[in-house]
Formats: sequence, structure tokens, C-alpha cells
Amino acid sequence: MDALVAQHSRSQHAAEGYSEDEMQQQMSADLAQPLSLQFALPPTASPSQWLRAMTDDHSNPQCPIKIAHGTTTLAFRHKGGIVVATDSRATAGDWIASQTVKKVIEINSCLLGTMAGGAADCQYWLAYLGMQCRLHELRHKRRISVAAASKILANLVYSYKGMGLSMGTMCAGVTPSEGPALYYIDSDGTRLAGNLFCVGSGQTFAYGVLDAEYHYDMEDAEALELGKRSILAATHRDAFSGGYINLYHVKEDGWVKHGFMDTNPIFWETKLKKGEFSNVTSKMDE
Amino acid sequence: MSRRYDSRTTIFSPEGRLYQVEYALEAISHAGTALGILANDGIVLAAERKVTSKLLEQDTSAEKLYILNDNMITAVAGMTADANILINYARQAAQQYLLTYNSDIPCEQLVRRLCDLKQGYTQHGGLRPFGVSFIYAGWDNQRQFQLYQSNPSGNYGGWKATSVGANNASAQSLLKQDYNEDCNLKQACELAVKVLSKTMDSTKLSAEKIEFATVGRTKQGKVYHHLWAAEEIDALLKEHGLGKQDSEEQK
Amino acid sequence: MEVLLGITGKDFTIVAASKATMRGPTVLKSSDDKTRPLSKHTLMAYSGEAGDTVQFAEYVQANIQLYSKRNASELSPYEVSSFVRSELAKSLRSRNPYNVNLLLGGFDPITDKPELYWVDYLASSARVPYAAHGYAQYYCLSTLDKHHHPDISFEQGMKILRMCTDELKRRLPIDFKGVLVKVVTKDGIREEPYEDEKPVYAP
Repeated sequence: MDALVAQHSRSQHAAEGYSEDEMQQQMSADLAQPLSLQFALPPTASPSQWLRAMTDDHSNPQCPIKIAHGTTTLAFRHKGGIVVATDSRATAGDWIASQTVKKVIEINSCLLGTMAGGAADCQYWLAYLGMQCRLHELRHKRRISVAAASKILANLVYSYKGMGLSMGTMCAGVTPSEGPALYYIDSDGTRLAGNLFCVGSGQTFAYGVLDAEYHYDMEDAEALELGKRSILAATHRDAFSGGYINLYHVKEDGWVKHGFMDTNPIFWETKLKKGEFSNVTSKMDE
Repeated sequence: MSRRYDSRTTIFSPEGRLYQVEYALEAISHAGTALGILANDGIVLAAERKVTSKLLEQDTSAEKLYILNDNMITAVAGMTADANILINYARQAAQQYLLTYNSDIPCEQLVRRLCDLKQGYTQHGGLRPFGVSFIYAGWDNQRQFQLYQSNPSGNYGGWKATSVGANNASAQSLLKQDYNEDCNLKQACELAVKVLSKTMDSTKLSAEKIEFATVGRTKQGKVYHHLWAAEEIDALLKEHGLGKQDSEEQK
Repeated sequence: MEVLLGITGKDFTIVAASKATMRGPTVLKSSDDKTRPLSKHTLMAYSGEAGDTVQFAEYVQANIQLYSKRNASELSPYEVSSFVRSELAKSLRSRNPYNVNLLLGGFDPITDKPELYWVDYLASSARVPYAAHGYAQYYCLSTLDKHHHPDISFEQGMKILRMCTDELKRRLPIDFKGVLVKVVTKDGIREEPYEDEKPVYAP
């Protein structure tokens, strides 16, 4: 009771009522609550500068922390839904840490996320996004829209802006209200709706192949093949992309997985059957 | 029975009443009358000064009328000390609005800010409600001239003519009788002194016993407010044959 | 290389914003809308730090709309600009300020006059007849200085805008993918169709 009284009574007249600021601060604090999980940060003035000093392996190969980076991911909308494709390589500096990373994260039966950038950041926050999406579903008795899900993630990463998060993510999904929808979110806080995105160190190579042959009216098989070929192009030219091609298709009633395929045989098949990659020689004397 | 409920502001009585608020209203009904009249080209506020003494310095102690903002003034009925707190708050709120939006706070918004504060004191624990009613006169470009009244409960309303304080029932009925929708500021001033002369205890009015203020617009369209000097009030009283010297001479 | 342009005339304000969103070497989107309507008669165009722009714009938009609902009245463009400026000034002195440049285009239905405010990330605000942000300033302000008059018709305004965007296409080294054009008049905000396809070459 006393606590209640203290909460509502004010000791000094000078501090009476509410200022617009206080209201806004109060409201933003209320809204931000589920987002801020209160991580411990390094006890320095600027966590982001500290992180850069500890992790910059370009200028400082001896840096104590090597973050897993480097990726090619792509997603595009076409008449039959959304194709999502990624490579599977994780690198930490020059070191290939894994060739079998799952960079497509299955948030629920109708929503996929892709990861590029810091592997830990992406895995952690996409898992967190999955949790928020499930809670939304329980609270509202219907699946979250892709627009809302992507905005949760965008607002989340924005609240950590400048603190060293490194993520480039796509949310691809389908809901009855939106149809197939695709969003790009990165750790700057950018969030864009669009038809086609490539993200990661190999994005330029993927764009090159994808943009040239992309059109919205593609059939499913053609679209899946194009997604696969674009990742192949990136794994071939980008040192930080490789491993397996992870291929998904988001359709009206949810996503379908189209395999986790070793790039090597696909590369040789493409080269030998179609005559592409002609710069690569297969004979010793050429 | 009421003993159990009336000492706490935050608790309803079994009849659904808030005694502390009603007591505050009661306190106000003993205070000097204040009234406001809306005219088509301005607003007049007038108020009765209850305690007067020859020793009281006229210029330095306006008791009943205050400037809240460039576009708004107010008349007080009730405890002046309580009113000072609220007026200070209102002035600060108006300045904060000016700082943020670079324009005068719309009248109703300022009234509402004050009333939100007053309301808080009828609900939150352990506090006494403010023992003041206000009549506000102001102008803004959304609703032009506006007259509002508020009381300790935090309720407020817009009026064409209204009064608070002692004898406010009779003042109100006089206003109802004589108010003319198309009156100008001059006619409103006349009505104001006439009503005051009938509701005040002393039959003879003088500048020491009443305060007067008007809100209007200059030819250039700028809002002005004006707290009248003693000479101006005397001149008005004289014009309408209500002044002290006048009636004494007639005798 | 983001482009923001604003032109007022007799009874309108034109606001144009480039459609490209760039990240590193990549154009991520070439149909972006860098504007937000704040109220019926005020439109805000923004450029600057990725993330900050949309967050700030939506924050301001929400607060202006909250004001309208609370007080059952709209703020005038001038009042909106004052509010936006004060929010930006407040943020500038915080731990992580918004890095955003703005143009506020509006039409005041009470004074019946078009208005345009130039606001930069340091929270300077100025009422101007025409304005630009970023490199567009260097190319377009001279053109606007020469051809703009306060009482131009909408058609003349669009003609001057065309001169500006043509010059930008001619001289800016990076393609900004054309502009999205919006117009504020006494009837509110509308999008104006704008032909963007034609290439323009430097002579």
C-alpha cells in the first residue's frame, strides 16, 4: 500500500504532471521491453570500437576474436512463390570453419530466414525471431505476417545499432493476407520489401547471373534451377562461399525443401554438360 | 457514516461521492465571484476582490486575474495559494509547447493539461484536491475566442458566459437573462459590471473591489490581453453609473 | 548519393526523392519511397544513415498522428517542422543521434500557402521556396535560383523539376534510379507520375 501511494504521490510541485518527453520515454520503454534482453557489454566507452579492435583480421591477423563471416544467400519472388537459396560455408578469417552450415532458418512452416554476416548473431537472433513469431501466433491465434516479423527483427537490430552486430537477413514467407512476401533486413536497421535480393560476400556474383535471367513469370522448375545456378556462380568466384547449395521454395501453403546439394558435382555437371565455366580446364595439357 | 469516507480523497462513499472534492467546491463557493463573458470581438473577465484594505498595494497584488500565455488569461475563485501552483504549472506547460511547436498552445489543450493535473489529486493517494475553480479566456486560430471553466474535480467545459464563487447561482441566472449572443466587447463589459454590482455584498463598486481584464484582437489580427488599471475600471463604472463617487454625488 | 528536391509554387509544394537504395557496391532497391506523410498536409522526405532514416521518420509520423488523435486537430506545417526540428535537436545531444537530413513539404490550409522546410542532421531548420539535400544541392540550386518564382504554376514547377533531374542524370556519377514525386496541395498529398526512363547524356 505504501509503495502504491509513493508511486502515485509526488513530493515536489516542481515535478508535477507529465512532460511530453516523459510520456514518450515511458511509452518507448514499454514497447522496447521485450526487445532489450540486457546483454552484458564489454566495460569500455564504445563497445563497437572495442569489438572492431578485437576482431579486425584484415589489418590485424593476430586479432583475438575471429568472427565467422562470408556467405552467399539469395531469394526472389516469382509467380509460383519465392525461391530461397544459400551456400553453406562458414569462414573465420582465412579459415574455413564449416562446409555444412544451414543458412536457411525455418522459423515456422510458412516463414524462412536466411543468414549472412556474423553466424552467431544470425543464429541467435533468428532463433529469437522464431520465438517471437510463435508467441505472436499464440497470442493472436493466427500466423504473424512477414511484414510484422521482419519489422520485429529490424527494430531489434536497430536497437543494437553501432554495437557491432553484423547481419544481412532475408525473411521470405507466405500468409493469406499478404501472399508470398520477401523482406531484406540488415544490421544497419535497413528493412526493404522487394522482389529479389542477394546478400553476402558473394552477392555480386549471384546478382550477375540472377538479374540476367530473372523474370517474374518463371515456372517453378526454372526458378529453382536459376536460384541454384546463381549460388553456384557465387561459390565458384567468391572464396568465402562454397560447400553445399541449400534450396527452398516458398509456396502458397508453406515452404518445401529442395535439397542440400554438394556444389562440386553440380559444378562439373554444369561445366561438362552445358559447356559453361570454360575458363576452368579439365585436361592437364590444355 | 460519512466520517469514514470524507477524510480520504481517493475513496468513494457508499453513495458514490468524493467528499473531499465536494468540500473543495464548497470552499470555492465562499470565495469572491469571478465571471467571464464571451463577445463576438473579445472576452471579458471580471472578479470580485473579497478582502480589501487601504494598506493593500494595488499594483503589486493582483489576486484574481492572471496571464497564462500570450493568448490566454484566467480568473481565479478559491484559494489563491493553490491557484498559484496551478498557474505556474500552466505557464510552464504553455512555454514548453511554444518551445516544441513554435506556436501558442491551443486554449483547450492548456485547459486540459491543468485539468489532468487537478484530476490526479482526486485519485492519487494522500493528497488534497486544489481548492480552485478557474475561468479561462483565450484565442486560438482553430476556435477563435473561447471561454472555459474548470473546477477541483478536473472537469471543464466551454461557455458563452459563466461565473464561479460566491453568489454564482444568482450571477449565472442574471447572465442567462441578459446575455446576448451578438454582443460586442463593450456591451459584454457593461453586462459584467452590472452582474457584479448585483451579486456583490457591497452596493457600491470601486476599482479596489473588482478586477477586470479583456482579451481581444488588434486591427492587425494579433491577440492582446489587457488587465485593467484602476483608472480604467473607475471610468467604466462611472459610465454605467455604478461608481462610488457617482452614487454619492447623486445623493 | 541520395537526391532530395523540393519546390514550392503558387498553390503547391513538390517533393522529389531518389528511388535507389544503395548498400556498398550494390543497388538493393530501385523503387524505394523515401517519404512519409506526417499529417494530411505535411510530407517528409528523408536521406542519411541507413536505418536511422526510417526509424526517425516513423517515430515522428507516429507522434504527429498521436497529436492529431489526442487533440482532434492537425498541426500546421510550420508547427510540424518545429516539432521535427526539436526532436532532431534533442536526439543530436543524445548518446546515439539520428543521422538524417529532411525536407518537409506542406500546405497550410489556414493561410492557404505552400510551405517547404529544409532541415539537416544538425537540426538547422529553414523555411525556403526551394531546396535540395546532398550533392543535388550543387547541381540544382543554381538552376532553381535562375528559374524559380514564388507564384509559378504547377506545370511550371514540374518543368523546373525536370530541368533539375535531367541535370542530375547528366552529371552525377552514380545512378540514383530516378525520383519519386509527391505533391502537397490544399487537397492533401498525392503521388505525381514522373517519366524517368529517358537517359540523359553529358554533351
